[in-house]
Amino acid sequence: MKLAWWKLLAIPMMLYVILAGTLIPLKPGIYTYSPTRITAYEDEKIKIQGYNTHFEAGETKVWVKLLNDRMVPAHRVNVINETNLEASFKFTTDFVREDPAFADATLIVDTPSDGYSIAPNLRLKASEVKNRFGVFMDTYPLTRLTQVDDFKLPFRQILHETIRNTFFHVAIWMAMFLLLLVSCYHSIQYLRKGDLAADRTSASLTSVGLFFGIAGLLTGSMWAKFTWGTFWTNDIKLNMSAIAMLIYFAYWLLRNSISDIDSRARTSSVYNLFAFTSLMILVMVIPRFSDSLHPGNGGNPAFAGEDLDSTLRAVFYPAIIAYTLLGFWMAQLYRRYLDLLYNHND
Amino acid sequence: MLTRIYHIIRKDFLVGKRERQAFLASLLYLVAITFVVFKVFGTLEGPTRMGVFWIIMVFISINLVGYSFSLVSDRRRLNHYQLYDPVEFLLAKLLTNIFKLIVAGILLIGLFMLFSAQGLKNAALFAQIYLLASFGLVGVLTFVSSIAVYSSNQMSMVTILSLPLLIPVMMIGMRVSLVSERMFFDTSTGNSLLMLFGIDLLMVVLSVLFISFTWKP
Repeated sequence: MKLAWWKLLAIPMMLYVILAGTLIPLKPGIYTYSPTRITAYEDEKIKIQGYNTHFEAGETKVWVKLLNDRMVPAHRVNVINETNLEASFKFTTDFVREDPAFADATLIVDTPSDGYSIAPNLRLKASEVKNRFGVFMDTYPLTRLTQVDDFKLPFRQILHETIRNTFFHVAIWMAMFLLLLVSCYHSIQYLRKGDLAADRTSASLTSVGLFFGIAGLLTGSMWAKFTWGTFWTNDIKLNMSAIAMLIYFAYWLLRNSISDIDSRARTSSVYNLFAFTSLMILVMVIPRFSDSLHPGNGGNPAFAGEDLDSTLRAVFYPAIIAYTLLGFWMAQLYRRYLDLLYNHND
Repeated sequence: MLTRIYHIIRKDFLVGKRERQAFLASLLYLVAITFVVFKVFGTLEGPTRMGVFWIIMVFISINLVGYSFSLVSDRRRLNHYQLYDPVEFLLAKLLTNIFKLIVAGILLIGLFMLFSAQGLKNAALFAQIYLLASFGLVGVLTFVSSIAVYSSNQMSMVTILSLPLLIPVMMIGMRVSLVSERMFFDTSTGNSLLMLFGIDLLMVVLSVLFISFTWKP
């Protein structure tokens, strides 16, 4: 018996993806804080709730980062427990409305053991009393923050723990694209050479691709529930991928509705090529022209730069390979079943 | 090639007496269904009017175009295999179908204007989107009907295969027609029209590429 090395590879990779994807902890981050506005000249006390943080380990500092990349420290930090603290600020200079450096600010909590974590959208409000001459405030550069390099998943606002779905939802869809692409290759082979075995390979790959597509829709739907609030939004990419799935369902129905083996193979090969082209256009092209909540569409950033940090990459890329290998394995089993059916009917 | 395509089209109109009957029957169906829709709704206003217009349009086009390859007897099909080149036959079918759908569509627009007593606010834009969408509908349905010939339940197969492909065409058509009726403001209609044109072109190219594979059993 020939040893299929890629199947042996698929098992540990799948295990690695599932274990690493669910067990690697999230980096510490700021879960919520209130109030989200600071007024000049007033004593402001901001309550900060952290996630996975260790405020009590070492000297925790709280900063407000201005738009000119300088930071103002809190004059008093009152640590309540590991995940809660209160920071007092008093800005002794007026936030002039026209000065863009003071329009928007970022809250930063810096702990020696965890490194720094940031929370956006802190608003600085000008004082009601105008033209008060304030004391010049000391600001500090960003290099004051402690950098900690550890193997943890990034903490993102709104996403929180659901960032792990990148390894499932996104990876499954990527694997689906690969499976369907290879299926198209076999369809072309059938149309060129008339070899029925190629058609069976293509059909099995498409079936597994359809299965992955449904899995991708389900995981995506769950993700949407926890980040966008509903299981199904009117997002263009969602609707277009639903249409693409309908096209592949139609492929399956078409294939089963033709009894003659040769015309079934020819028709479904042609329709398979057609379905893949439609899938590409529906999911990859059309959403880019209009607004979408998905990354890479409607002006949203795609997976690049800080969105996909090294820890995410270390699980995400193996996940794509693992799902692809698993898909080919499933397709091979299904193709053997189709072969048996074919030989039986002969 | 062009003269041969012309001959196929002429043959379709001259010989296909039964097909002419079917075409007239579809037009009558269109009139009846529009009448029923306006009686049921009473008055149709705003986006609903355009929505109903496009839905009727899609079902009429399925009726008119969707069975263009299947409503032929086996004996005549054998005759076609001997006489015609598949690509020429497909192009002739596309042209006839576009002609049929445009006639039906003009009738439908006329009926909508008559029943709702409202004209078109931006006729030029509406004509553009209407023509592009018709090409799209014809392209998809001609391709699908050439594919569904050998399946056992053609009637439902044509609908199942074509509807997912018609949805994007219909959605773009709906959006731009809302813009042309001044119910919706959008600066990127040019983009939408271009995208629709791309879909049309793709459908025609794909059908021409694949027709020789699905043409003969």
